[in-house]
Amino acid sequence: MAGYPGQTRNGLAPAKRTSSGARQQTREEYRLRRAGRRVFGTALLGLLCAVAFVASLMVALGQEFYEHWDAILELMALFIVAPLAIAARVHWKSARRGIADLGEIGKLSSHEIQAVAAARSALAAELRDSEPYIDVMYEQIGDSLRQSEQDVLKVIGDLGTLNENAAGQRHRIAESMANGRDMTRSTAERVTSNKEVIAAIELQLAEQNNELRCSFERIENMAGEVDALKPLIKVITSIAQQTSLLALNAEIEAARAGNAGREFAVVAGEVRKLSVATTKAAADIADKINATTARVEREMSDAQTALAQYQSGDELSHLIEGLTEMQNDFCNNSNTLLQVVGELDLSYEESVKRLSQALGHLQYQDVMRQRMEHVQSALSDMRTHMRLLGEKPDDPSWDGRLESTFKEILATHLQHYRMERQTATHLATTGKSTIALGGRPDIELF
Amino acid sequence: MAQKVLVVDDSPTMVMSLKTALGMNGFEVETAGNGQEALNKLKAGSKPHLILTDINMPVMGGMELIGKVRAMPEFRYVPILTLTTEGDSAKRDEGKRAGATGWLVKPVAGDDLIRVIRKVLPGAR
Repeated sequence: MAGYPGQTRNGLAPAKRTSSGARQQTREEYRLRRAGRRVFGTALLGLLCAVAFVASLMVALGQEFYEHWDAILELMALFIVAPLAIAARVHWKSARRGIADLGEIGKLSSHEIQAVAAARSALAAELRDSEPYIDVMYEQIGDSLRQSEQDVLKVIGDLGTLNENAAGQRHRIAESMANGRDMTRSTAERVTSNKEVIAAIELQLAEQNNELRCSFERIENMAGEVDALKPLIKVITSIAQQTSLLALNAEIEAARAGNAGREFAVVAGEVRKLSVATTKAAADIADKINATTARVEREMSDAQTALAQYQSGDELSHLIEGLTEMQNDFCNNSNTLLQVVGELDLSYEESVKRLSQALGHLQYQDVMRQRMEHVQSALSDMRTHMRLLGEKPDDPSWDGRLESTFKEILATHLQHYRMERQTATHLATTGKSTIALGGRPDIELF
Repeated sequence: MAQKVLVVDDSPTMVMSLKTALGMNGFEVETAGNGQEALNKLKAGSKPHLILTDINMPVMGGMELIGKVRAMPEFRYVPILTLTTEGDSAKRDEGKRAGATGWLVKPVAGDDLIRVIRKVLPGAR
């Protein structure tokens, strides 16, 4: 891209501009002088050849030379004079054409001759001036390619950065997703475990309630049975009191009996003491039964109040229900989060696919670069050709023929195209037969 | 472990775009600016799972690179894809004879390129 083969920037000396209006005439005069020199040269060569031939035969044959004079003349005419005469004829015709051209030029006015010469000079100058024009176009293409390359590299860099950021987010999302999965799994396991524990606790609580209720019933029954002892205590107390009265009567009767009743008085006294003690014990038992019954009734009342409050409030059940509901909500939220993360992951894969597509499209820059480089090469060929054309009008020996023409140079490009599209564009532009694109697929696995 | 692709191209835009596209699709990418540079890397011990090369490059072109890589026993069966602007049938046949696995004409859509690479690269995800 930096330069093209054979290019010599500013390498051409400024053309020698001809101000003379007789350049065309000079050129024809040159042709005429050249033809004249050739006729003269041919005649001189024939004369020298003939003299050399005759002299060599005279030396070789001696006196016999004159005897074969007729044959010698025929040989000279056949092998020397005739070819030289033909050559002289050709040169003479050329000289006559030059003379005729001079005659035609001679018919032109001085103004017309000057106009033709000026046009020819201007054409040569224009051809030479095409070089900087082509140089500028060449550099414009090169600069455009460099700029587009830099821009495309920036775009690729931006796409790369974008992808790196997206990849970083994806990495973090993947980590979050893994953590979320672990947390959800752990939570689900805890929820399952907690539900089992909760079910066990609920079952145990129900059993405890039943047990408690049964215990209450048993205690109530026992309290009733203890309370039922109160009449019996009264009976015992009454019997003890009656026994005490009887013992007192017995002591009185024993005292009346004197010595005979002394022993009986002792027994009666002991019986009376026993009945007093029995009365006292019965009173104590009655007091304790009353106290126990009162305490049982008080405790039962408190327990029943507490049980009633517990059963009516059902706080533990509410707590368990709230905990279960909270765990279910957490599981649902975790699943929603996982779903969102999964969608983000799919979104990233889609963005990678689209970025890959965009990067594929950027290959156009390389395709365009190669096509433009071929155009630059063609401009280089054109520059060289224009320089040669610019030199030709100043060359009096130029006969109008060229080593290569634009047509021939253009045809050579067909051999150097790399892309089918280049060839197709060339043929379509030059009006020749077109080629069908896509003969073989762009992607071909062998 | 990511599979390695050796990208050989003299165009900076091609090298960078391919490196980015392959990288974001999970491939490890090594690059070379021409065939000779790629050959030096292979001789120095680089072990790519796939070679993706241009054809027209300075110093050493892709066609010569393919021939020299196929002459190395350790790379005889490594897939070699060409990615070039050359669409000519004769060139393709020449590449096939040299040992190319496939011929891709630029520009190739990004997902098509990834699909083809995964197709010829055993074990690519």
